[in-house]
Amino acid sequence: MKKFFGIVLWFLSVSVQAQEEDLMKLLNAVEGPAPKEYVSATFKGSRVVNLQTNEMPARGVGQLIISHRFGTINKEPLYNFFGLDVAQMRVEYSYSPTGWFNYGWGRSSANKTYDAFTKVRLFRQGHGGGSPVGIVWYSSSNINTTKYSDGIDHYFSDRLSYAHELIFARKFNETFSMEVVPSLVHFNLVETPDVPNDQWGVGVAARYKLGNRTALTAEYLARAYRPEAFYDPLSIGLDVETGGHVFQLHVSNARFMNDPSWMMQTPGSWVKGDLYFGFNLSRVFTHKAPKKAQAPELL
Amino acid sequence: MNKTLLFSVFIFTALGASAQRLIAKDAFIRFYSSTPMEDIEATTNTAVSVLDKTSGEVAFQVSIKNFTFDRALMQEHFNENYLESEKYPKASFQGKLVNPSAVKWGKDGVYSAHLKGKMNIHGVEREITTPVTFTLKSGQILLESTFYVQCVDYNIEVPTLVVAKIAEKIQVSVKTKYVPASK
Repeated sequence: MKKFFGIVLWFLSVSVQAQEEDLMKLLNAVEGPAPKEYVSATFKGSRVVNLQTNEMPARGVGQLIISHRFGTINKEPLYNFFGLDVAQMRVEYSYSPTGWFNYGWGRSSANKTYDAFTKVRLFRQGHGGGSPVGIVWYSSSNINTTKYSDGIDHYFSDRLSYAHELIFARKFNETFSMEVVPSLVHFNLVETPDVPNDQWGVGVAARYKLGNRTALTAEYLARAYRPEAFYDPLSIGLDVETGGHVFQLHVSNARFMNDPSWMMQTPGSWVKGDLYFGFNLSRVFTHKAPKKAQAPELL
Repeated sequence: MNKTLLFSVFIFTALGASAQRLIAKDAFIRFYSSTPMEDIEATTNTAVSVLDKTSGEVAFQVSIKNFTFDRALMQEHFNENYLESEKYPKASFQGKLVNPSAVKWGKDGVYSAHLKGKMNIHGVEREITTPVTFTLKSGQILLESTFYVQCVDYNIEVPTLVVAKIAEKIQVSVKTKYVPASK
């Protein structure tokens, strides 16, 4: 009898031990399979420097970006304080009514250009399966508002130009992300008949995280139509994140900030040392806060 | 003492044990950081929990990414910089009531007890003890608990730049309503 009792006791203790493991098993069973997850924060900002990234403000969030490009570094650098005496500027504000759509307006100094843009997320990079890249489409319409000095009567449409970017971005790991951006710029008016109205290019950009809040970035746009007066824009930047702000400091041969100009009409050359310091400063504003979770109550 | 009796007791315990398990799929967890400069709150009702009335065991698990903040950017920072949810996707607690007899599961009322167990946040496991309240009302069981988590204890690094905006001790509130596991 004693022996039997002992066996039962042993059995009971085993079952208690198993129970503890069971509890975690049950917990995981209750939780169910993990939902489909997407990669986030491929880049820190919605732009690398000038080129768009696959990022955009979250649902219900507006973003203000103020950008400056200073004067050239290599022209009497000490006298001109490395170009900081003068600046081209751009201001833009955009808003995301949903998580996959963003629209906004901007004004850039170059050609006194006003622009309106939309950004649409088509695919998100999946986490452990799903799409290997995130795909975002960006388009901007630009109005050159400088006064004509050529004495010709112009149509309003002569002032318009358009830029399109299809962004294929991939976050390879926590520190390294890259994107390839086939781009098209359409100028309604070009200077001579042999200049194409449609000009193609392929942008390439990368981000390397130095720490949780700083990252090195670089972007380059290779153009198909290559007139002698213009060069491919190449920029190297540093992203610094401070709470609600992202500072993007950079050196670039592109001084213009409206899309058609910086993409296809960059007069500065890295080889000749026509470089410019610049920064983008972004700040987000929450228009609509996400819904809070509700605590359960007894009935 | 005869064999049949013993056997039936054994079976009964085994069966009883399974019936004493309760679960919650929508456990509510709230983080609250309060400083003179800024109050920050994050909530979720997607945590899962299991309660074993017989053994007094309680377990929780939550996906870090599920916490919602007032500002999307805070949520991104929370995941990217502080909790590093890519590396440590989940936080969990597994523990036991220190004084299981303090709660009379069969009787309506409000019972205070203490939970002792292992808390795992940001990949760091720590032994903690926290007061817990069970409210029993016509077959429903509500667990409530509020405790504080120190960022340093779980290797959560707060940069000097925002140190004035994030409290050293974060208040965590948990509220869970359980339903029988068989459902």
